[in-house]
Amino acid sequence: MTTLEVRGLTKTFHKITAVDDVSFTLAPGRTVALVGESGSGKSTIARMIARLVRPTSGEIVLTGPDGEPVPRRGYRDHVQMIFQDPFASLNPFHTVEHHLARPLRLHGRSRSDVPRLLEKVSLTADFARRRPHELSGGQRQRVAIARALAPGAKVIIADEPVSMLDVSIRLGVLKLLARLQREENLAVLYITHDLATARHFSDEVLVMHRGRIVERGSSDDVLVRPQDPYTRRLAAAAPDPEARFRQGGQS
Amino acid sequence: MTWSPKLATGLGLAAAIVLFGLIGPMLTGDPATIRDIGLTPPGAEHVLGTTLTGQDVLAQLAGATRGSLWVGVLVGVMATVLSGIFGIVGAYAGGVVDEVFSLFSNVMLVIPGLPLVIVVAGFVPADRRGTWTIALVLAITGWAAAARVLRAQTLSLRTRDYVAAARVSGEKTWRVICVEILPNLLPILASQFVFAVVLAILSEAGLSFLGLGAANASTLGTMLYYAQNGFALQREAWWWFVPPGLVIALLGGALALINFSIDEIINPRLRDRARRKRDVVAVEAEVVPVDPDAVLTVRNLNVVYQAETPVHAVKDVSLTLRRGEILGLAGESGCGKTTLAYAINRLHRPPAEVTSGSVTFEDFDVLALEPDELREFRWVRLSMVFQGAMNSLNPVTPIRAQLHDVLRTHRPGMSTPDREVRCAEVLRLVGVDPARLGAYPHELSGGMRQRVMIAMALLLDPQVMIMDEPTTALDVLVQREILNEIKRLRDELRFAVVFITHDLPLLLELSDRIAVMRDGEVVEYATAEDMYLRPRHPYTRQLLASFPSLTGEAGALIT
Repeated sequence: MTTLEVRGLTKTFHKITAVDDVSFTLAPGRTVALVGESGSGKSTIARMIARLVRPTSGEIVLTGPDGEPVPRRGYRDHVQMIFQDPFASLNPFHTVEHHLARPLRLHGRSRSDVPRLLEKVSLTADFARRRPHELSGGQRQRVAIARALAPGAKVIIADEPVSMLDVSIRLGVLKLLARLQREENLAVLYITHDLATARHFSDEVLVMHRGRIVERGSSDDVLVRPQDPYTRRLAAAAPDPEARFRQGGQS
Repeated sequence: MTWSPKLATGLGLAAAIVLFGLIGPMLTGDPATIRDIGLTPPGAEHVLGTTLTGQDVLAQLAGATRGSLWVGVLVGVMATVLSGIFGIVGAYAGGVVDEVFSLFSNVMLVIPGLPLVIVVAGFVPADRRGTWTIALVLAITGWAAAARVLRAQTLSLRTRDYVAAARVSGEKTWRVICVEILPNLLPILASQFVFAVVLAILSEAGLSFLGLGAANASTLGTMLYYAQNGFALQREAWWWFVPPGLVIALLGGALALINFSIDEIINPRLRDRARRKRDVVAVEAEVVPVDPDAVLTVRNLNVVYQAETPVHAVKDVSLTLRRGEILGLAGESGCGKTTLAYAINRLHRPPAEVTSGSVTFEDFDVLALEPDELREFRWVRLSMVFQGAMNSLNPVTPIRAQLHDVLRTHRPGMSTPDREVRCAEVLRLVGVDPARLGAYPHELSGGMRQRVMIAMALLLDPQVMIMDEPTTALDVLVQREILNEIKRLRDELRFAVVFITHDLPLLLELSDRIAVMRDGEVVEYATAEDMYLRPRHPYTRQLLASFPSLTGEAGALIT
């Protein structure tokens, strides 16, 4: 069972502490939601776990299926990331095939797996020949998900995977992620500013504010019965038409 | 790719000259053969006449063209490789490497090119001054500007998510540079290469003309040099110096045309577009009996983008905005909601065209307004807060100056103290401390800047305010404050708001009526309550279902 543990993770940029002593565990078959506003440090955590940014202190320990820590070289076989903006995360110059075949080959798999990967994310095999500009936002993000799965990764960091997509296709992409998580027994870190989807698509919620985790627990506990004042304000700020019309309406 | 006349002309000319340089020398005989028919004018025997020593000018021209092209290509390749190494590798590596490379490029850039070339070329003894030496000297003095352009572009590309994604998937650095970044730099590299070729051919001609060119090489420059030494001008032997000069000019022109075309491909905005003067077409000023309470009435409005395949962006839209009402306009990207807002304000630009319909503000036809009436109408009667408006504040002047400017333009009679009072007043209205009037935009948070933009829209007491995604870029807590602000202002000032967003729950909470748009059409138009409790159109239901409720049954969505 591949498990990723984050202990005391801290990152400072020019004396500003972006991430302050954050610890959590990503376990197979579970989704942890990291919720917070922009600037709260959640993307910095994603980038540290994806090894794009070096932590100032703290450790990220990856335990492989054999119970042994995974050496640095094999890290990217197990941990992959889905980026926020599917319009920026695919290279406009290359075909879908390139985006999937490269990670397959880099991790010792055959490029003949491309059609199977596309099928996994509910795209047909003929998408392989297309270029990013021929795809819709939702299709692009599916390709990005397939790319993250290509190395056979079991830990997926999804950094705001649907916030740049049209509203009517967001749930479809989230449902796809949830299905893949069950089928492949993935450990998923779902980073979002949207409390509602965090509640519906995760088992555990961590609320971040100014680099610190201010509240954590099961998604129902944290989001329906928040204890921390900041979480309460967040929960109360989301538009809630139900409240307006339940009270008889004012319009 | 567009096959513009510029590109076709440039490529055609360049191809003809290259072909002449390649094949010409094989067909025109030995250019060095000396005959006793010096300075024969063009004729049947010698199409372009002969030189002082009776050499055939056409044969010389062919050889010289080949020589010049060879120098141009050599320098082009070398300068491009040098600028690539110093620009791209430096920028991608970052840190000390970037600083050292960048410093070196900058030093090379400020060294005046031609004098250095003259000094260097002059120092190398004539017998060791071959084509390669000259090409090397020209390349070394000519790569730095291109390196800076490439550096800037690479700095922007290396932060793209697809580069990060390639790193996460485990690509090696050299592969990230060569496979992910380099292809996206190709248009720039191509344009820099062509530029280097032009510059090299011209510089080499200049050097050779001064007698500092490659020794035993024959180029267009050496031809001119010999023509000058043979007093071609004084002897009126135009056929000796005009052809090489013309080839240089044509080649330079052709390559410049190719470069323009590459620039247009990189930056489509440079492409010539047939500018259409009219922005309102075929609009009958039909007087529609309007709801007496209505401030803004849109009737059967159609907006078409007159592209090669016209796009009908707004189809037959009819809406009524009453005094003090908040009208929500909901829809996804590309549904035409922003185009509609722009058309109401007459801010749409060609190729967008209002093809039919009417926009009535109180009792006058907006689409029939003259330019000066339109200026009066916008901002004074109807103001607009644009998407991402908070980033449209001028970063170099304090917000006081920007608010005062609006008043100075629209209320010329107002005194400075009065303006100051009014500015403080609107800032207070949107919940910003008037003490912040002296602040520069960067000193304010995103939410504050957005409030300042709303304050600016309020300055002239408009009856209608159109807000296009005013809170989309903001965090929920800030969004909540601004929404509360809008509701309060509407109650206090009784103006009407058109609120455009993709966030249907937000509209359901905020607005009185909502229009849901899809593919340019209003598919449902109802009160917020009706839309929430009794949505009729399947698309409305789909949109409503796209926003899970925070408090509802958990897990119901995962199937």
